[in-house]
Amino acid sequence: MAFVKTSYIFLYNRLFRHDDRLLMIAAGVVTGICSGLAAVALRLSLEWIIECLHPVRHYTWAIVLPGIGAVLSSLYLNKIVKEAPGHGVPEVIYAVSRYGGLLRFRSSFSRLISSFLTIGSGGSAGPEAPVVMSGSAIGSNIAKVLGLNDRQRVTLVGCGTSGAIAAIFNAPIAGLIFAAEVILGEWKFVNIIPIAIAAVAGAEVSQAIIPEQVLFNHEPFRLGIIDSSACLGLALGTALVSVLFTKIMRQSGRFAKGTKVPVWCRAAIGGSVVGLISMKFPVVLGEGYSYIQSMISGTFSMGLILTGIAVIAKVVATSATLGWGGSGGIFAPCLLIGSLTGTMFHQLIVSLFPETGFAGSGAYALLGMTGLISGVMQAPLTGIFLIVEITGGYETILPLILVSSLSSTITHYIEPASFYFKELIDRGQFLRPGTDARILADLNLGELLETKVHTAPENMLFRDFIELIKISEQNYFPILEEDTNRFRGIIKISAIRRYVLDPGMYDMVFINQIMDTRILAASMTDDLQEVLNLMDADAMDTIPVVEEDRFIGMISKTKILDLYRRELMMQTSPH
Amino acid sequence: MDYKLLHIFRNTPFGRETFLQSLYFCKRIKATPVVYIPENDKFLFYFSSDVIQVDLDHSYLTDPDTAEEHARDLLADEGLKSIFYRPKNFTASTLPDISPNFDFFCCPRSISDLSSKIGLGYLGPKVRRIIKHATFPVFITSPVFKPWESIAVFFGGSENAVNALKLGVKISLASGVPLEIYTYMEKGDQEYYKKIAENEAFWELADQQIRDWHFYEQGSFDSMLYSVPHNGLIVLGAYGHGVVKEVLFGSKLEHIQSTLANNLLVSGPKNKISLR
Repeated sequence: MAFVKTSYIFLYNRLFRHDDRLLMIAAGVVTGICSGLAAVALRLSLEWIIECLHPVRHYTWAIVLPGIGAVLSSLYLNKIVKEAPGHGVPEVIYAVSRYGGLLRFRSSFSRLISSFLTIGSGGSAGPEAPVVMSGSAIGSNIAKVLGLNDRQRVTLVGCGTSGAIAAIFNAPIAGLIFAAEVILGEWKFVNIIPIAIAAVAGAEVSQAIIPEQVLFNHEPFRLGIIDSSACLGLALGTALVSVLFTKIMRQSGRFAKGTKVPVWCRAAIGGSVVGLISMKFPVVLGEGYSYIQSMISGTFSMGLILTGIAVIAKVVATSATLGWGGSGGIFAPCLLIGSLTGTMFHQLIVSLFPETGFAGSGAYALLGMTGLISGVMQAPLTGIFLIVEITGGYETILPLILVSSLSSTITHYIEPASFYFKELIDRGQFLRPGTDARILADLNLGELLETKVHTAPENMLFRDFIELIKISEQNYFPILEEDTNRFRGIIKISAIRRYVLDPGMYDMVFINQIMDTRILAASMTDDLQEVLNLMDADAMDTIPVVEEDRFIGMISKTKILDLYRRELMMQTSPH
Repeated sequence: MDYKLLHIFRNTPFGRETFLQSLYFCKRIKATPVVYIPENDKFLFYFSSDVIQVDLDHSYLTDPDTAEEHARDLLADEGLKSIFYRPKNFTASTLPDISPNFDFFCCPRSISDLSSKIGLGYLGPKVRRIIKHATFPVFITSPVFKPWESIAVFFGGSENAVNALKLGVKISLASGVPLEIYTYMEKGDQEYYKKIAENEAFWELADQQIRDWHFYEQGSFDSMLYSVPHNGLIVLGAYGHGVVKEVLFGSKLEHIQSTLANNLLVSGPKNKISLR
């Protein structure tokens, strides 16, 4: 073991110390393959369980299945692997932005099993977020085994994400774009190549095991200028549904958390709601890919009003599943809700303008999907390329771009935070590379602390203090209690100028008579943002750091600016 | 000194024993106890190259309404001021991140299993993992409150053992309690071990703190353990070997903790001690 470790360190130092691109590409391939296998395993197991449960779906008692699945999923997450509920994507983004992509090993499998239980039993969710979580955790743990640094680890987290998305949808470009656009939040040369390679590896694994190439097949669509104009209305429609979906999802989650019932009981309630809805609208069950296929093929049989109700039903069912303790992602529900919205929109315009030669409803289902993905995730590129890849519909690329861009813009106007980011933004932890919040979060208070500071005892005579000023370049002097060294206050040179200019005061004043005791002090547990807020509140450019009445040091804005610039340069450099 | 010791408070009689150990330790080395009263049954430690999820057993969430009051009472009895740690960052809503920026961390022999399992002979997997990755020494307490009056450093000559010796010196300097070193001579004679220690930059300081250096070449390792004072704080390094060696030959820490009921202060492989 020691030999292997020594050899690895030797090789690393000789080959990759100054240029790690080959290492990252190799690690990206491994990560892509592993995350691809995880994604394929979930996809195949879901197909198997759905097939097994298909013969019993028509029985009335089958409405309890989503509830049972949600309970099992919740118990598994809470009691066995002890993971927090939810789809996990904010956790990945949080780990990337705050802790250099450190993720627990258990996350590489936990959500695969819990989402298998939820979705397999009929819960309204998709397998994509679980595979993103799994792939990211695989990448993070491969980086740990290889002893890589934070930057390299973050890249492998991106590789895991792209490999997983590429494998589950057989969509390598969407995987690459989702990793950069949503998970990492940056496009850097050093990241993109390994992530692209990982996406290819993930897609290759998927194609090798599951031979079919395109998730949704369709005849070529012919979209004209009329359809492009109609896209404006569709974009507005998908944006409104996106906002509605996001808001209901969040409210549902909040309401569920506020209830005083055990977590498994909540999951049972959520699952039962899905079961009940499925009695009238089976479209809400599981991923709903077969319904999407029928919409794209133009064989979907529901009328305008029923399709509208189905949109609401799916939104409620997904909120009940994910908000109440089930496990899974929102990609698949977005695709289904989007295709329903697109179909509904097509039915509406055809009934309003029966003479106009619009393209088939399948094309609008496709456009609706991209509109909803782009709106909910506010990730327009992911929306465009995902739909293009899973449908093979390159002929619709122009309307796709139009709907995607408009939908994400309108949604952003109404609801500035995307579904994945909202939770982090609310917690003040949405820290993208190169942003003010991220740079401040990355600066260590210990690095900024000036500990070699002249202090003065509180009963020092002012004359002696003048001598101290002469030998010091400080503008602020912390004053401490003589016996206990407790922090008592600060003397600001600019505030005592009148005493300095009056030598008659030198032997009459003790510094505890002129010190400022109302000064705000920072603590070592404060974030840098909190320290800056304290400085602003007190109009100080230097602030003392005090713990348990003990003076620890001073922090100045000058030092913060120096380190801020250094960090900014590091985070925004192209490499 | 402004050392800080992180203590995860458990509002049970067993938790009180552990807390008393922490308070005694803080009092001896003039450290500030930082008390975390958990509101969830799990939390995360993010170290530089690993993240560890600590799953607490349910006794840690016992009677949360009285937990802070009980902790404050015990702190007042010992005349110590404390900082109550409130997590600022959360990986998920029920998963707080606990900062690893502490000088010491106190935990019982197991923190994620029922108290009935805790005792000699069982070191919980989470405690092991924390020791392996922690950048601070882990203070593993004896099952009941047991004040320590001497410091015993186990020195076997390895890099980890040197680190443990440095930690022993640090505690000795902070507490004023002299050091006793215990060496079971597996690798060489007395000179061999002395030379390793003397080559260290902190040796001069260490030499002033050492009261006695006990060498054992005959008998079993256990017979050396028997001669360690029952009221000594044992300082040792742990998990310095690779996985294979550990599986084949076992870990010294596991053996010591299953044989001795003393308080242990364990320095793991990622923990670099500085004599500040």
